[in-house]
Amino acid sequence: MSTEAPIVNEFNLGPVSCHAFNHNRTELAICFNTNVVSIFRKSDSVWTLAWTLIEHDKPVTSVDWAPSSNRIVTCSQDRNAYVWTLDLASQQWKPTLVLLRINRAATFVRWSPEEDKFAVASGSRCISVCYFEEDNDWWVGKHIKKPIRSTILSLDWHPNNVLLAAGCADMKARVFSAFIKGVDKKPAPSPWGEKLPFNTVCGEFSSGTGGWVHSVAFSPSGDVLAFTGHDATITVVNPASGSVQSIRAPYLPYMSILWLNEKQIVAAGHDCAPHLFEHKGQQWAFSSSLDSAVKKADVEVTARDTFRRMDSRAQTTGSNDTEVHTHHQNTINSIRAFAGDRSDVNQYSTSGIDGKLIIWSTNNIATGLSNLSI
Amino acid sequence: MAFRKIDIDAMEEDAFGQDEIDSQEIGDVHSQEVEAQVNSRAQEVRALLQRGDNNGALSRSLLNPPYGRGLEVVKLKSTQIVMEVLNSTKTADVAQLVKNLPSEEQDVLMKYLYAGMAAPEQNSSGVLLAWHEKLTEVAGQGCIVRVITDRRTV
Repeated sequence: MSTEAPIVNEFNLGPVSCHAFNHNRTELAICFNTNVVSIFRKSDSVWTLAWTLIEHDKPVTSVDWAPSSNRIVTCSQDRNAYVWTLDLASQQWKPTLVLLRINRAATFVRWSPEEDKFAVASGSRCISVCYFEEDNDWWVGKHIKKPIRSTILSLDWHPNNVLLAAGCADMKARVFSAFIKGVDKKPAPSPWGEKLPFNTVCGEFSSGTGGWVHSVAFSPSGDVLAFTGHDATITVVNPASGSVQSIRAPYLPYMSILWLNEKQIVAAGHDCAPHLFEHKGQQWAFSSSLDSAVKKADVEVTARDTFRRMDSRAQTTGSNDTEVHTHHQNTINSIRAFAGDRSDVNQYSTSGIDGKLIIWSTNNIATGLSNLSI
Repeated sequence: MAFRKIDIDAMEEDAFGQDEIDSQEIGDVHSQEVEAQVNSRAQEVRALLQRGDNNGALSRSLLNPPYGRGLEVVKLKSTQIVMEVLNSTKTADVAQLVKNLPSEEQDVLMKYLYAGMAAPEQNSSGVLLAWHEKLTEVAGQGCIVRVITDRRTV
């Protein structure tokens, strides 16, 4: 089996707050924790800056790129969201303001699978579900308010385009209906419910050990929900069987999770490496770290070197290595699917505070496991 | 940066406060019931310790921790019961005892270790640090993070 090393791209020395790729992964929208979103284009495996999207006046918190309709949506601490469309004649991205009607920062945005709606999470305890109103030629938002008690930190759409999962700072993950009359067709019944008018609460879950919820994700089929919080647990909820399983990880908290397929979840966060969780038998369990970066061999330290170091820098120990032994050098805050469809992700991208954007192959998983000896 | 010290929640009529978090995470607390529980636990744990069953005594002492506010005296007593078990365990046995605990009880033990370290004049920090080291080896940093995030304190 081939070993594909992760592809490391360094765009910036500072943090990357969010990133999104276009449909064929040749263009990348990325924000370096500023009010500007930069779009890079790939030619001959080199990323070059093609456009900058300047309209927000506070740091951009989230960006999403609709693959089929080629529209970008951005949201920011300035309480606004913009939908960007590429004007074919001038080859420039044109912003359209969205009426969110929120009085705190917008924190997270995602297009729905059909790309006819998007949801914006915010600090004003509501989710703005936005859709295009033909009559007014304007994007308008409808609020999901109850029973949210604090800032929403993450969202994920169910594949049926109606259900929406939200991870919240009030220690809860919830599943809502974001059904918009006139936009959506009546969804088929699912384990989450049958009658789904707007703002129906289809489920409210907690890990049981506190901790605000950093990330939520529906499984590829949408029948199972996973979320992770600052208590370093991953909770998997199956509404059909009624089971709620919390895995207490022995590692630092995860910031973002992604389903590779129905049986595997990747989570990454403060430990700077993606970790794999697998469904085995009837239970979910931690499987392995997917970052196989090996610790660099210690350079042989001679007595002479040691004395010289003590003399010049007042250091007594041999190693003054501050490097973290993973590809990412700091917290990972976002994982996104890169290649393959939703039910079988072959590659995924991670970005974080160290300014790196890394593309990982799931081939690594099989290779890593075959290297394990018992 | 004086504006950072302004309590913006004071302007909010419907703030998400400590009371609400407590009722969500802990539920109703009846202090007399909790006190009776802790007292009977103290006797059981001492009986187990006299029989030399440190494993059983540890699990028993970690059962049903007194969560909630206004229980300072009971919490102190409960912490002391756990401390008795920790102090009467041989250092060599610590690693195995910690390994035997299910992960929920490992988290509870970590809470008691930090509660114990908060009162260094009463408890031996050396013993606590030895337990902390062995527990972190087994339950990892995740266990420590959970002690910090969990509003249900001991």
